[in-house]
Amino acid sequence: MLKKILLVVLVLVLGGVAFVVARIGPRNVIGMLRYDQRQEGKLHPGDRAPDVTLVALDGQTPLTLASLVGDKPVVLVFGSFT
Amino acid sequence: MYRKYGDRVRFLTVYIKEAHPTDEWQMDSNEKEQVCYPQPRSTAQRVAIANDFVKRFHYELPLAVDPIENPANALYAGWPERFYILDERGVVAYKGKPGPFGYHPEEVETWLASRFPARDSAASSGRNSLRLIQRNARIAALTSSSR
Repeated sequence: MLKKILLVVLVLVLGGVAFVVARIGPRNVIGMLRYDQRQEGKLHPGDRAPDVTLVALDGQTPLTLASLVGDKPVVLVFGSFT
Repeated sequence: MYRKYGDRVRFLTVYIKEAHPTDEWQMDSNEKEQVCYPQPRSTAQRVAIANDFVKRFHYELPLAVDPIENPANALYAGWPERFYILDERGVVAYKGKPGPFGYHPEEVETWLASRFPARDSAASSGRNSLRLIQRNARIAALTSSSR
């Protein structure tokens, strides 16, 4: 009896995994497992935003986040082309 | 959003490491749209891709590039996409969750509407100016739909 239950559970788990892989796509599953770098991060609302030096689109001119802070709020949009 | 609040809020896109480069987690949608770049190995390479991005989408927001050592991403955990709002004192007032599933521009707009209620009549009027949001929607759709 126990073996049958375990077998059913195993089939259900494998079926679930197969469903997820088919739905998301094997390429995305592999990509997610290997390259997913999402992190919650250590910053929280209420923390002072750390300064960092970025580079302008000319590839030369430095831009610090601190230079943007002052008379207006700042919306930061992190992202990339791909 | 940028057009709506740009006179009262500074916007900055921080161009960070690629989310779906060809040599890592390539996406079908990027192949279809011919957005195919390997992960940059230098700041110059990343800047070049950022320039391609700006040109292709006529991107209006100010944009700066995270150097190849990824200092901004390390501090802000921005990958693959994420919003923050800093108040006038330089304090984190809002921190979004990482995209694509936690990427919610409407939350940013809600914060801005609360902070600047006078012109809060036309919700999300400038949303399309954020091209990253459009791309993110495509990624979310791809991820949630069958392949």
